[in-house]
Amino acid sequence: MSDVDDEELFERAGAALRSPSANDAAAREALVHAIRDEPRRSPVTTSRKASPWWMAFAAAAVAFVAGLGTGRSMSRPPSVAKAGSGDSAERRVEFVFVAPAARNVSLVGDFNGWDATATPMRRTDGRTTWSVAVPLAAGRHVYAFVVDGNDWVTDPQAPLSPEQWFGQRNSVVVVPVGDRGS
Amino acid sequence: MTDEALVARAVEGDVDAYAALAEQYYSSCARIARRMLRNDADAEDVVQETFLRAFRAIGRFERGREFRVWLFTILVNQCRTAATSRKRRHLRFSDDEAAIARAADERPIAVVEEKSAVSIAVDSLEPLLREAFVLKYVEGLDYAEMATITGAGISALKMRVKRACDALRPKLEAIYHE
Repeated sequence: MSDVDDEELFERAGAALRSPSANDAAAREALVHAIRDEPRRSPVTTSRKASPWWMAFAAAAVAFVAGLGTGRSMSRPPSVAKAGSGDSAERRVEFVFVAPAARNVSLVGDFNGWDATATPMRRTDGRTTWSVAVPLAAGRHVYAFVVDGNDWVTDPQAPLSPEQWFGQRNSVVVVPVGDRGS
Repeated sequence: MTDEALVARAVEGDVDAYAALAEQYYSSCARIARRMLRNDADAEDVVQETFLRAFRAIGRFERGREFRVWLFTILVNQCRTAATSRKRRHLRFSDDEAAIARAADERPIAVVEEKSAVSIAVDSLEPLLREAFVLKYVEGLDYAEMATITGAGISALKMRVKRACDALRPKLEAIYHE
């Protein structure tokens, strides 16, 4: 078969996959509703220097833990307590996650060996919000939440680790050095 | 209204403008996610999460960039994250679910069968080859756009597309030439 025929074959296959799917209309409508239900954003008036989107998220999270964040509805990024006056190589970091339907939620990360039983979270806001505070050393930590023992989810309010392809991607929190906690 | 105009309005907080972008690009995103995840329900969740993440981040959208490429970059990352999570949860794609979905489809049988057969062929590719094939032949992106979206080099992407085509050729010939 010639290259021209080949190209035609693959273009034809691509066209077949572009044919509309039966469920798209309803799903698209649900998405538009979800967008309209999102909290309104404030207009942005400043231009920003080019950077990958995940770096922008990371910068926002770092700003938040440094005490500059504004907070949002739903979950919020991990908040880092101010450094104590003692020895304190570690800082207390509070993780908050909104999961109204969950029966149990735990925190897993590089700091607890990714053990889903090591750091259970507790309900702190009626029946919707789960939280836990853990001591973490200054630096970058990678973490996730485990819902009902088997559903492993990232923090919607924190940046994702930038690993590529099918490598592990989880949420990232940066614990600052010195007395810059929120 | 152009994408650029809609994005400019969305950056200023116009939800209707962003909803218009979502309506315009929903189907493309759904196609990519379905092929990458091989599961319609997971794909639907990922597409919704992608649009909501992009909406929350649109204030950081760089003027001059193409919205579609920026959106697909977020989508591809979300699909990779979902695939990783799914591996950890040991979820498996159910052929029964696909059969039920096809049964509920009201389009002409020939169209449904062609799409279904091609989907099965493409789904049999390795993830990276599948991703490259879908971006090139289903969404019609050029290699520079694909490189931005996937983070891979152009020569690597060309090789992936070639390998995908080599693997697909006999299967597609069987579908179209029988």
